Amino acid sequence: MTAQGIAPSPAKRLRQESSRESDHYHLPPPTFDLDVWVNNYEGFPPHLLGALLPLRLAHVAIHCPTLSRQAITLAISHAKKSKDVRVYIRLCDLAGQFGFADLGAPDLGWASKQEEGNKRELSRLEGELRGYKNNLIRESIRMGQEDLATHHLITGGPPPDPATVQSLGGTGYGVAYQAFGKMRDYCTTPTHMASMILRLTYTAILQAVSAQQQGSTARHHLDLVLSNCSRLRTCGVKEEEQVKLNPIAIAMSGIAHLGQANYHDAASAFLSTPIAYNLLGPVHNTDFGRAVASANDLAIYGGLCALATLSRQALIDRVLGGPFRAFLELEPHMRKAISLYTTAKYQACLDLLRRYYSDWSLDVFLGVPASSIGSASHVDVLSAHIREKSITAYFSSFSEVSLASLASTFPPISSSPMAMEEELLSMIDAGQLDARLDVVNGTLVAPRKDLRASTHEEARRAAEEVERTLLLRLHKVNVAMAGLEVPRSKTGVWEGHGQGNGLMY
Amino acid sequence: MSDLSAILSFPPDDVAKLTPKKYDDAINRYLQRIEKLPNTAWLRPVDKKNLLEMLNPEVNSIPYMVSLAGQIKAAGKDWTKLEILLNYAVIFLATFDPVQVRYVGATWLTVLDWTLDTLPQSSSCDLSIIASAMLRLDPTLGTFTSTHLRFLRICLEGGVPSHALPILDKNIYAMATTPPKLMADEFLCDDLELSNTYITLKSGFTLKIQPQYVLEYYLIGAHIYLGSRNYARARLFLEYVLLHPSIQHSISALQVEAYKKWVLVGLLAEGKPYPLPRTHDNAVMKGVRDVSKPYDALADNFIKRNLSKYRAEMDIGTQIWHEDGNLRLVKEAESALLRFRVMDLQKTFAALPIGRVAAHAGYPPDTTLQWVTEMIRQRQLRASITPNGNGNAGDAVLRFHHSTTSSSALADGDLAAQTQRIEALVAHVRDADRRLQLTKEYVEYTKRQKRSGPDAADMADQMDLTWENNGAGIMGSAGGVVGMDEDDGDEDIMGGF
Repeated sequence: MTAQGIAPSPAKRLRQESSRESDHYHLPPPTFDLDVWVNNYEGFPPHLLGALLPLRLAHVAIHCPTLSRQAITLAISHAKKSKDVRVYIRLCDLAGQFGFADLGAPDLGWASKQEEGNKRELSRLEGELRGYKNNLIRESIRMGQEDLATHHLITGGPPPDPATVQSLGGTGYGVAYQAFGKMRDYCTTPTHMASMILRLTYTAILQAVSAQQQGSTARHHLDLVLSNCSRLRTCGVKEEEQVKLNPIAIAMSGIAHLGQANYHDAASAFLSTPIAYNLLGPVHNTDFGRAVASANDLAIYGGLCALATLSRQALIDRVLGGPFRAFLELEPHMRKAISLYTTAKYQACLDLLRRYYSDWSLDVFLGVPASSIGSASHVDVLSAHIREKSITAYFSSFSEVSLASLASTFPPISSSPMAMEEELLSMIDAGQLDARLDVVNGTLVAPRKDLRASTHEEARRAAEEVERTLLLRLHKVNVAMAGLEVPRSKTGVWEGHGQGNGLMY
Repeated sequence: MSDLSAILSFPPDDVAKLTPKKYDDAINRYLQRIEKLPNTAWLRPVDKKNLLEMLNPEVNSIPYMVSLAGQIKAAGKDWTKLEILLNYAVIFLATFDPVQVRYVGATWLTVLDWTLDTLPQSSSCDLSIIASAMLRLDPTLGTFTSTHLRFLRICLEGGVPSHALPILDKNIYAMATTPPKLMADEFLCDDLELSNTYITLKSGFTLKIQPQYVLEYYLIGAHIYLGSRNYARARLFLEYVLLHPSIQHSISALQVEAYKKWVLVGLLAEGKPYPLPRTHDNAVMKGVRDVSKPYDALADNFIKRNLSKYRAEMDIGTQIWHEDGNLRLVKEAESALLRFRVMDLQKTFAALPIGRVAAHAGYPPDTTLQWVTEMIRQRQLRASITPNGNGNAGDAVLRFHHSTTSSSALADGDLAAQTQRIEALVAHVRDADRRLQLTKEYVEYTKRQKRSGPDAADMADQMDLTWENNGAGIMGSAGGVVGMDEDDGDEDIMGGF
């Protein structure tokens, strides 16, 4: 019942997309092994904050047919271990849509029992919280509030009530977010604040992922992630604690920027993430490295964003030569791709990126659509950026390149004969490529610049502009001095403009 | 005969040697003298010849003019007499002594006005004589007078707008105002650099100027420039109108008209509306735009190079364009849109077959080939067309050339001329600045500044210093009034008016 209106959406999108010959839902199998991969994201403690894992697996199941069954089986078993009945039902539903009849039938007995237990637990926690509030002990209230919020988080929050209009945050994880937010009044030390903000950040990310998976926009939630990240950096805890918080704050803000398609900001966030993020372990009972994104993931995100947005020199200085290299060592193929790009081996670089396309598209942060319009995922957009940058960089050393040789270096994505030409045209139009196309000879020509003439032209324009401006201002002074201004209209205020404030402009 | 000797008593024989002061004295005495002469002295023939035959307009400008004016008055509506007088007037206007007439501006204006009225009715309708007379009086033509507008109107009515170009091409540097008192060592007959010292409201060379005269002058001027395809100048004139200061943000209908044209001129000349001048008055501009929405919509489609939508807008608004008298401009912008679409192609292509241009423009290839050829011929497009052997228009190749065109010597000359123009302009700006500092309002403003304490004064000084150091320091320290830099600190000085 609760799954109504939510579960159909991935499948509905699935159908629409597949009819448009998009391959997002038919990715080839990735290079990693699913079981090993899942181990990276086992929550710690497993059932407390592992809510992202079923969503992750569902993402894999939706997008990769080969792994679909395995992923959904894992997801369901994980969901069943948790207390979130609705995620479980939704996953079973999904399995049914994929045609896995055996998995599609939910264990209703377990579900109702768990639901019952959740309700009992909820009323117990609420009762306790009321008691604490009567006793007016702040620390108890804070902990009671935290327990309540955590309960909401792991049970997926109260189900949407069909009788009332669904308000923002009125159901699901939104309730958990608000409950965590209520801790604020009872936080007495910066450490408490930090712990609360960490939970808020995590909840917001969870909300974002779940919203994206259900086909709605995650922008609002990502904004919350960003604001929580900046609060996390200035919450005033002791130096040694802050050192632990900073990597999380920076990395999560990077993920939020990535989700909002601000690749440049995302790149600079990831590049400045301290390597301490790796093996950081749980901070305030939350291990972001396991629950949200591992250091390996950050290496991929950062590497791709940097490759797509930074200049070659910045890549050499800040990425390969900077502290981010430590991350790249975790994912050597990413490092290799970047060094290939910096040494102008564009073809090899793009080939390498293509080989891992499937891996990255199965990531729950990279594989989601980059904008509400169109189905291109972040990986697609980033790859397109990198490709365009490569073409621009490749062309910069030539004055004329034939389209054929360009097409052999950068094989066009689509198979239409005009593909290369169209791609180049759109790049020229967007101002990324400073070149002209000679359609007749089939070449791309670099514009010849006559510096002297263009400087002359510029000077002439500037001088004309100065002359015009001077004349206009002279006119203004003369008119004012001669008292020849347009007089006040006699019929009162002209169409509501120029309220008589007693000042003559 | 004594009348005649009185009439001829100026200029004295040694006129060339007179100092300005003596010349001034002599001419004033002479004027007093001839004022006492009876009216008939100017009309009566001398030796059975017209007095005008005796006088040399170049030397005896004053008596010639007075006599002419008198005879015109006496002639009434006798056309044969008037035609004879018209000949005299033309001779006079072509040869008069510009210094002498400064003392009798009102009479000069009467003669000029009469000529201006009569010329179109006569057989020869050469209005350029008026323009050269105006230029003779004031070679810079930098002071705006009521004659400017009158002349322009008559040129338009006579259907010879091009005759107004010599006048329009001169920039206006000042308005005729009530004069500041002449300095002790300055005389009307002096070799005055700026014409606004002798063309004033009191000199008689102009009627009282109304704001709408100025607006109308510039608007008509812009029309004429538009007709001669001088878009830069038309833009300047329209911006004069647009930026005309107003009291309490009131808007003139002429400004609205100017805005509409200004949008269209921008489309014609640059393919997009000009950027709004920085010193515009927001409230005025908003009011103007509110009533010019159809034009902004047109411009929007133009910028997007959306030909079909532009045409749709054009058709639906035919009534509007027609009523505003802009129908032809709008139609011209339509063909300009087509032109800009092709010109945009050269940003992307170095060469392409006409067939693709045709597809882009939405025309059949042979028509496209035709008008692209026409564009190249008119030098709107730097490109060449290589026909294909098979005679198929779509296969002909359009190859764009690099836009660096002018030879450097030509460019140097251009720049030099431009520099000269700006230097001349700066002199006038300085003058305007000086005049501004002499106004009561500015003096009061300065006083207020002084009164508000030494600190405030220091601050003002400091501000002015930085202003000068900006490199645009062409103004005196107190007069941040007209400047080429973007510092709009001038506005509060202006606010005093």
